[in-house]
Amino acid sequence: MNVITRGMRGAVRSPLRAGAIVIMLAISIGLIVAMLAAKAGVETKINQVKQTAATGITVRPAGINGFAGGGDPLTAAQVATVSKTTHVASTVSTLTDQLGTTDTNLTPSLELGSFGMRAQRFEGSSDMPMPPAGMESSSGSSRTLPTPRTTVTGTTDANSVAPNGGTLTISPGITIDGHANDNQALVGTDLATKNNLKVGSTFTAYGQTFTVKGIFKTDNRFQDSGMIVPLATLQKLTDQTGAVTSLVVNADSSDNVATVVSSLKSSLGSTVDITSEQERAQTSVTTLASISNLATSGVVGATIASAVIVLLTMTMIVRERKREIGVIKAIGGTNIKVITQFMTEALTLTVIGGVIGLGLGVAVSGSITKGLVDAQSNSTSSVTRPSGPGGGFRGPVGQFGGTAQRGLQAITSSVTPATIASGIGLTFVIAIIGSALPAWFIARIRPAEVLRGVE
Amino acid sequence: MSIEVTGLTKTFQAPGGDVHALNDINFSVKTGQFISIIGKSGSGKSTLLSQLGALDQPTKGEIVVDGQDITRLSGSAQTAYRSKKIGFVFQQYNLIPNLTAAENVMLALEFGGVPSQQRHDEALKLLASVGIDEDQAQRRPGKLSGGQQQRISIARALANRPSFILADEPTGNLDTETGKTIFKLLHDLSRSHDTTIIVVTHDLEIAGKTDHTYQLKDGKLINYKK
Repeated sequence: MNVITRGMRGAVRSPLRAGAIVIMLAISIGLIVAMLAAKAGVETKINQVKQTAATGITVRPAGINGFAGGGDPLTAAQVATVSKTTHVASTVSTLTDQLGTTDTNLTPSLELGSFGMRAQRFEGSSDMPMPPAGMESSSGSSRTLPTPRTTVTGTTDANSVAPNGGTLTISPGITIDGHANDNQALVGTDLATKNNLKVGSTFTAYGQTFTVKGIFKTDNRFQDSGMIVPLATLQKLTDQTGAVTSLVVNADSSDNVATVVSSLKSSLGSTVDITSEQERAQTSVTTLASISNLATSGVVGATIASAVIVLLTMTMIVRERKREIGVIKAIGGTNIKVITQFMTEALTLTVIGGVIGLGLGVAVSGSITKGLVDAQSNSTSSVTRPSGPGGGFRGPVGQFGGTAQRGLQAITSSVTPATIASGIGLTFVIAIIGSALPAWFIARIRPAEVLRGVE
Repeated sequence: MSIEVTGLTKTFQAPGGDVHALNDINFSVKTGQFISIIGKSGSGKSTLLSQLGALDQPTKGEIVVDGQDITRLSGSAQTAYRSKKIGFVFQQYNLIPNLTAAENVMLALEFGGVPSQQRHDEALKLLASVGIDEDQAQRRPGKLSGGQQQRISIARALANRPSFILADEPTGNLDTETGKTIFKLLHDLSRSHDTTIIVVTHDLEIAGKTDHTYQLKDGKLINYKK
């Protein structure tokens, strides 16, 4: 038996007390791990927000908002100007259109409703009020009756339709190449169901045959009732070569967003509306950072609590076993050997608590992360604004609106190898800090006290 | 191994003034002698053993063991001196409660530098020499009688073949018969191993059977019997 074995056995000398200490340590270390996991999850989200929303700039033709308003789309020359602007990392171009019942063999899956009818009340006639459905006007001319329509988004990146700025969920099937110029399409879940479309099915639009490559789902009924095709395809079929109704520009760094906005305003002038989501993203990052700071505080607090538990426990044990320490020194045990034995005891208790705590932390990390996020999102919900323009297929326009706030709810704890390594590292730190003072006590114990005690 | 004590003084500072626990002690012990020190409680007997065992520093004086003044040794040298040259036997046995009898002896062997693979067999031999069988050797102190625990304590003291053993009231917690048995064991060891033994006791009958007896009175050591 060596000093390490003696230390390990000494740790469980009193099973009841050792059990109580291990439980306390397990709870504290579990909290540390859960907080580390929450912090890792939040920091991943911060990076995501910084990489997307924080660098995103939306350029729209002045006066156009979805299918509302008026004006001319952006031209290919304007898009090229934007792409060549300094600090612009990438762009996503989008053109939207609507298919009437005569433009396609598909049946719209979105009901027209009173909103849709009002939106179409001026169509088919000049300034005549709309007669009841199926009736002729007094002039004898027949007006086109309002009909549900199917929205088509032509885009260079299908993910621009995804909620929260993430990746579009396509199942079954695969995405399309937004830069292609062929008749491939992604159809929304509702539209696919309504028309019994499957991957590989074909349908007719603009007098052309399209093949379904995939079926996407966004949980937004308007979007799930539409379809996505390559930008160039829609431009060609609608005779709008080079036209773009929305352009999302990503700056190469969040630090350069203001510079890019300034450059674009200078080069495009009043023909466009330019909006940056940096400020809103910054609010979201601030919120996320406060959650991260809260988690850090939790880690520090739980680490201190654990160290104090070990410190008090080992101090108590050393004081109780002062006589034993004196005897060991009297028969030739060195300070180093005795300190090593008691540090091993502390480490054994901490490691057992740490192993249980790791499991506990992983198990509760999700709940703790949710609790932290809920607490923070409730306190910041007042700054959240509704997203997307009214009427039109949202597409990339306003995709950042409320993204980070919605993203808060999507934050999950992240138990990574780094989290586990940090947890283990802190466990050792706890054992070392918790043993330092008892070690000092041990070094001060004079063996003569043992003999003096029996006189 | 001879011990030569000269002018040994130990003074404690107390609220009422200095207390001279040991006051100019002078004596010598030759190899293989069995010496007893008697005295009333508080007379300084255990303090004297602490000085001889290098557990405490004297206020002044010398303790020369085989030509070396142990009061001038460094802390680590004193630890080595304790582990290899002396063995302690305590009134309250002072065995480590969560270690078995054999492990208690192995602990002293470890401090004496005995290789780990030899410690177990060596411990069993030592325990057998003081009358502890293999079954008892695997028990913890709490499962053994006072006499058996003191035997283990003696085996531990003998672990590194010390030149002398310091025994502080070794029979103080034992009944008369067991006390006599333990005393006989120590006496036999001093003869068979040529080990110098200095024993502190209240028991004049036991003291009378040693080679020489000193009495500690008011911090002074006086000859009690020659």
